[in-house]
Amino acid sequence: MTASSVGKPLDRVDGRLKVTGTATFSAEVAVANVAHAVIVGATISKGKITALDVGEAQRVPGVVAVLTHLNAAKVPGADKPTEMTDKVVQVLQNDAVLYDGQPIALVVADTLEHASHAASLVKATYAAEAAICEMDKEIGAGFAPKAAPGRPPPDSNRGDIDAALATAFARVDATYTTPCENHNPLEMHATIAVFQGEDHLTLYDATQGIFGLRKRISKAFDLKPENVRVISHFVGGGFGSKGSAWSHVFLAAMASRATGRAVKLSITRQQMFAFVGYRPQTIQQVTAAASKDGTLVALRHEVTSATSRFDTFAEPSANVTRMLYACPNVKTSHRLVRLDVATPTFTRAPGEASGSFALESALDELSYSLKMDPLALRLKNYAETDPDEKKPFSSKTLRDCYTQGAAKFGWSKRKPEPRSMRDGNWLVGFGMATATYPSRQSAASALARVKKDGSAQVLAGSQDIGTGTYTIMTQIAADALGMSVERVHFDLGDTTFPETPVSGGSQTASSVGSAVKRAGMAVRTKLIDLAVKGKGGPLNGMSAEQVDAEAGVLVSKQDRTKSDSYEAVLARNGLDQIEEKIDEKEKAERKDHSTHAFGAHFIEVKVDPDFGEVRVSRVVSAFAAGKILNRKTARSQFIGGIVWGLGLALHEHTERDPRTSRVVTKDLADYHVPVHADVPDMDIVMVDEVDPYVNEIGAKGVGEIGIVGVGAAIANAVYHATGKRVRSLPITLDKLL
Amino acid sequence: MRAHVASYDLVQPGSLREVLTLLAREPGVYRPLAGGTDVMVVYAGGKLAHTKFVDVHGLRELRGIVVTDDAVTLGALTTYTDVQAEPTLGREFPMMGQAASETGGWAIQNRGTLGGNIANASPAADSPPALLAYDASVELTSTRGARWVSYATYHTGYKTTVRAEDELVTRVRIPRIAPGAQGSRVHMFRKVGPRKAQAISKVSFAACVDVDGTRITSARVALGGVAPVVLRVVATEGALVGADVTTLDVAAIGATLSREVTPIDDIRSTARYRRRVAENLFVELTRKLKAHVGLGSQAR
Ligand SMILES: Cc1cc2nc3c(=O)[nH]c(=O)nc-3n(C[C@H](O)[C@H](O)[C@H](O)COP(=O)(O)OP(=O)(O)OC[C@H]3O[C@@H](n4cnc5c(N)ncnc54)[C@H](O)[C@@H]3O)c2cc1C
Repeated sequence: MTASSVGKPLDRVDGRLKVTGTATFSAEVAVANVAHAVIVGATISKGKITALDVGEAQRVPGVVAVLTHLNAAKVPGADKPTEMTDKVVQVLQNDAVLYDGQPIALVVADTLEHASHAASLVKATYAAEAAICEMDKEIGAGFAPKAAPGRPPPDSNRGDIDAALATAFARVDATYTTPCENHNPLEMHATIAVFQGEDHLTLYDATQGIFGLRKRISKAFDLKPENVRVISHFVGGGFGSKGSAWSHVFLAAMASRATGRAVKLSITRQQMFAFVGYRPQTIQQVTAAASKDGTLVALRHEVTSATSRFDTFAEPSANVTRMLYACPNVKTSHRLVRLDVATPTFTRAPGEASGSFALESALDELSYSLKMDPLALRLKNYAETDPDEKKPFSSKTLRDCYTQGAAKFGWSKRKPEPRSMRDGNWLVGFGMATATYPSRQSAASALARVKKDGSAQVLAGSQDIGTGTYTIMTQIAADALGMSVERVHFDLGDTTFPETPVSGGSQTASSVGSAVKRAGMAVRTKLIDLAVKGKGGPLNGMSAEQVDAEAGVLVSKQDRTKSDSYEAVLARNGLDQIEEKIDEKEKAERKDHSTHAFGAHFIEVKVDPDFGEVRVSRVVSAFAAGKILNRKTARSQFIGGIVWGLGLALHEHTERDPRTSRVVTKDLADYHVPVHADVPDMDIVMVDEVDPYVNEIGAKGVGEIGIVGVGAAIANAVYHATGKRVRSLPITLDKLL
Repeated sequence: MRAHVASYDLVQPGSLREVLTLLAREPGVYRPLAGGTDVMVVYAGGKLAHTKFVDVHGLRELRGIVVTDDAVTLGALTTYTDVQAEPTLGREFPMMGQAASETGGWAIQNRGTLGGNIANASPAADSPPALLAYDASVELTSTRGARWVSYATYHTGYKTTVRAEDELVTRVRIPRIAPGAQGSRVHMFRKVGPRKAQAISKVSFAACVDVDGTRITSARVALGGVAPVVLRVVATEGALVGADVTTLDVAAIGATLSREVTPIDDIRSTARYRRRVAENLFVELTRKLKAHVGLGSQAR
């Protein structure tokens, strides 16, 4: 067998391009005769546009067009989402203003400077109406969301929670809240739209889903899907916000069609807070009850999250409560309230990140009532099988995560009493929490091709949203083809390549990786067949089982001096290349299993008792996520998730002015995320786990699980340090004094 | 939205004289631009209403730190990195380096200037409390001449100062004390913020207290983030001077300080929190003073 590349900490194959600035992101693609578009956003949160004065803007030199609801073409599909990721968009179809920053005009000019300046000169007059952005004002009008197809229902009930509560020894009833958090990937959303004639469109778009985008846009503009090409070679972070086609993509296409030019639209940092989604605020009521020995007898988790007036997105925070612990009586629900705000969306571990804060905080509170170690409480209620789906796990190595993480952290040194540990002036606290995330797989296709020069090209539509997809697919393909990674070129990000799912839900490695593996194996099989059955050659006449592939050379297993290179096989048989396209479906065994990755965080914080400053001083996190395809890129995903968890716990909060519903924290000066100095060295433990059922490659996906549980682990550590339980994120300094 | 660059005018005369002449010709029309770390934030946010700027960043006359027997004098263009590198400041005025090292991040420390910090007059700025505690003076220069004003009288209200529109901040002077007196001086700087870097202070605090034996002979205590201006708490200082560290009435003097500060609620924090922190900072100062005279430990 060839020395395996999968699992090695291979440097990113696109790393050099990125650090030298030569990786071409969507807004950087050189397109001839491109015009620049800038969106004008509404400055009210609710009402109607009564007048739009675009005269001054139009007089700015270089301005090509100013689109408004008065002159824009109709896009009948704009408010007709069909897929789970589709959003109702606001693309100048009428005079209504539904949220702060909503697009009300689009200025197109020869340069970005002219377009930006002209956009600042568009004058809107409004009939404003009172806008509501506070959940408690609308809570009475809460409603249950409809279940998305293939997704869990909003409500669940197992056992008899009321009966169980009546007999419980210890019980916690508490309300936890999480704030609105806006997406801020390094690369802001950007599109270049190029209409060729009336019926062909090319989009260079910063997207997590080129095929979903093609479907949404072709439908909305009434184009044949095959006439819409979406290209996205590099994406500077998505985290869910680039999983949907938002208004700006439609606007760029509309502008290209209207002006007959290629149109580039890159949104501003401020507009990241307007119309590209966010993690909605939640109010979560949790009841957790146990018998004297710590056995959980009841869990109740009722979630209300915010959505817009015109579209629906529910943060599924209670789903994690259904499956994480072996508890016989569990009741959960999700409700929504409508506010005068834009529509929220998927945000790294949607549901799990916010929901685990509530669940894992409640368990921590329960551990103090029981006078039980928080880790012991989790172990006591370890779910050997999925209590919700009532199926065995395809694999679950959480126990090892707990023990290895705890050992490395020194959890046993924790003194149980809050406020009992100090480092000079600082109070020290230890906190822990469990992490989990579903391991998904969707249908995906891939094509592998070995060329007569002995190199390989492997294609799958897909996207690399900064996670390392190029790299791990190259590794998977190399192993499957029996080649070295240097000879394998993997390409993605083009709808002319084989179809793949959205890069969301941590499913790319699983879905695309399985297809790539099988495509590579199929080509290898064909090559071996040719070598043993085709024209002549040193291996001719052997059986296929007797032949191995190693670094692009076929060798006899019995006599390793007998070998035949891929080039030679192709040349002898007069072939330019051999290729195979594979359409991979979900692995059949998944149906009989529950598929999740697991992990555990152990976090130390230091809190200044006089000033309320919280510093995260140590993080040890252990994960079991099936086969780790690349230890380096996987670690980056874990630490990236944890850093965001630090932000979720301590900093991130989109503030609105309750009088106007307008966002007041519209840039990274006011919207705080952790800086480097706030992030300690993190010790990431990757626990070995073999999973024969989850998919063809045994890998579970590592993009989202890192953030899950971090909010609670920090809140729990803060409680241990200070004796103050903060149930409302973020844990700002004022909440601790 | 980012402002339109062509709507702005930036001129770059070669000398201090030329800059002052320009400022004098039409006072208020041109505004200085030094490191730009305050101005460009407003520009990038599309909110920079003023459109005419004169670049002073290249003026050699405003650079350099001069140490004489009686003072350390810093040019207005002194950066936070310069401050941290100056050994006399490090020895005798450690709070200057501490404040500088906690200002923004490295990029800001390389680019932002002390003159800009003073002229910008944010009540949450970090070096001003240290400058107040060290009794600094500021030199304001125009074609009419140069004048030194005590920094304690420089800020007159929220973002208003005694500087006239034709004046530049040219130098900052910090008086030195006799080398032998250093040992009886207690310095305490503390910036309270949500992040370890790039944090806008919730409250910042600087105190410089001279102690003779156990008796306080002079005290200057200043806070940022608790009033419309960076504030010297003069009543608190008055209560400290002459008092004996061993018998300090911490509660009573703390109450005085609490009356002197007037914090507000805003998106960055609450008035209640800021007041508590101001009080706790004062308690920490008294602990430091007690430790200095050999009473108790510094640790809380
Ligand atoms: C990311 C970031 C982080 C920051 N963090 C901190 C922090 O932690 N603490 C802190 O205190 N500040 C902080 N600041 C603010 C800023 O960096 C400082 O106030 C800096 O000292 C300003 O100096 P400058 O030379 O860049 O000023 P500029 O932006 O050039 O000017 C600021 C103002 O001062 C005027 N001005 C400048 N020089 C003179 C002069 N010589 N005479 C008269 N007027 C003058 C200008 O006209 C302008 O009104 C931060 C800023 C940023 C962008």
